[in-house]
Amino acid sequence: MIEQTGNAVRKEESAGLMKYSAENLVPFGPIHPALKEPEYFKLVLEGERIVEVIPRIGYVHRGLEKTAESRPWVQNMYMFERTCGICSFVHSLTYGQAVEGLTIYEIPRRAKFIRTIIAELERIHSHLLWVGLMGHWTGFETLFMWVWRDREVVLDLVEAISGNRVHKSMNAFCGVRRDMPEGMEDRIVERMKFLVDRANYYKQIVDTEETMLERTEGVGRISPDTAEKLCAVGPMARYVGLKHDIRLNDPYAAYEEVPFDIVTRKEGDAHALLKLRLDELIVSANMISYAVKHLPSGPIRIKIPPIIPAGEHSSHSEAPRGEIFYYVKSSGGRTPDRVKSRQPTLANLPTALEMLKGQTLADIPVVLTAIDPCFGCMDRMSFVDIESNKKWTWSGEQLRQYGISKYFPERSKKQARTHSQPGQEVTSTKLCYKEEGF
Amino acid sequence: MSEVLLQQIEKLAAEAQTKSAQLRKGETIVEVDQRQLKNFIKRLVTETSARHLSTITGLDLDQNIGIIYHFWIERNTIHVKTFVPKTAPAALSIVDIVPGAILYEMEIHDMFGITFEGNPWIDKKLLLPDNWPSDLPPPLLKNANAAEIRKRLGLEVEKK
Repeated sequence: MIEQTGNAVRKEESAGLMKYSAENLVPFGPIHPALKEPEYFKLVLEGERIVEVIPRIGYVHRGLEKTAESRPWVQNMYMFERTCGICSFVHSLTYGQAVEGLTIYEIPRRAKFIRTIIAELERIHSHLLWVGLMGHWTGFETLFMWVWRDREVVLDLVEAISGNRVHKSMNAFCGVRRDMPEGMEDRIVERMKFLVDRANYYKQIVDTEETMLERTEGVGRISPDTAEKLCAVGPMARYVGLKHDIRLNDPYAAYEEVPFDIVTRKEGDAHALLKLRLDELIVSANMISYAVKHLPSGPIRIKIPPIIPAGEHSSHSEAPRGEIFYYVKSSGGRTPDRVKSRQPTLANLPTALEMLKGQTLADIPVVLTAIDPCFGCMDRMSFVDIESNKKWTWSGEQLRQYGISKYFPERSKKQARTHSQPGQEVTSTKLCYKEEGF
Repeated sequence: MSEVLLQQIEKLAAEAQTKSAQLRKGETIVEVDQRQLKNFIKRLVTETSARHLSTITGLDLDQNIGIIYHFWIERNTIHVKTFVPKTAPAALSIVDIVPGAILYEMEIHDMFGITFEGNPWIDKKLLLPDNWPSDLPPPLLKNANAAEIRKRLGLEVEKK
């Protein structure tokens, strides 16, 4: 019993909440395998407004950087690809580029084009997935269904090219493992045209549909200056007008040869992010069509020895969510001395915390989805109201329902009965589990 | 653009009594003494166009722990490297100059045990579990053994 209290106090200390709650503890359940992705935010509220957010991540930290030090260079490429289930290719691409920088070999031009095509297909996939999730969290399920159906188009193409839907395993050092199948050109161009049409239609929807406008306009505002200071990357920098795109600023693969326009917006709210990602999707689709038509002939790969010369090198590239960064250090052996990988969600987290401040409770799902987090679904949150000193815990679904009921009261009357109401105290985690059907 | 930036960095490095070297095209490495690091980064951010800190990397180098700050500007990456002795793993935080460094410093604190003076969240854990045994070495140091970490954290899976 004593030990339990000790543990709880230590948890409280590590989350930095001592100054807000001296005697009472905010219960936070164990990490359950049935939850989606585990992550944890402590939010300090003043009435409805968020005053402070304290993140606690690392529940799915698997120690890849440590593991990499004991594995051969080639094996690491496919291990780092498994960092993420959505932007998997770009991890192996960036790690590969970092290692290739230590060698003397040139990458064949055809391989560069194939890399570009796969990377852009992946971007379309990721952006579509995100638009669907945005529909889900704002209470617009129809959009979710439509967008995720269109996402299958991309997955089918990826499967036809690489043989896999998620982990493409296409990369090799100084090239790619598989060539483009013959006769794919027409099919890809036709499918890209279909996706551009759909994206234009979705742009029309998000501009006119009341649900989307009301939930996203003016939500999650941030100034360009703050975004720059907090080192925001990818769409989170572009939606406030910063021209921050590594494909353009520091080209890799075939991005120097494939023409494209950088998309930026000025409004700086969640609605701007929706339009930005849909615009980027169209740009990517056009890039793929161009790259497929202008695919050069030649070899796709150069075989290199398994020993990488000593030295250090870094590489970065533009993943769907922003800048991915890899640093490798070699002492001339069969395994790396050190590999450092930094994912875009970690870089965007300080910006997201800043966006949340001053927002209301109902906007949390929209703002946190807006950064396109890799740790996704906000399954569990603890709340502390510093005015009334109330504490409670909500699951992600409860929070989503609360957000919808706040904006569209008449719509969620039917659904509201099973979920706790704003301010209702949930004192034990058991209650939460029960409501989620455990 | 790039030439001007390189000259600026060379000038800054000369004033900090250190040398800048070009690793290869577009990559510059500057090794700065730990006491002068904060001043150097402040001047780098205010006097040149380097704003974006990509990340901070930690390195285990036998007697020392290396810290590399990767700044990115257009087609150039600037690696600012410094060393901290393992016997006294402490450094000054740059959060007041580059606010985006806050989580990267927490990560280095977790993984290499370096305390960053001035980081408001440095006493909190970011990636390591709450029940991390305090007598174990920080996990990314070379003397940390993955098997032992798994054993102490109760993560061993019995082989059948």
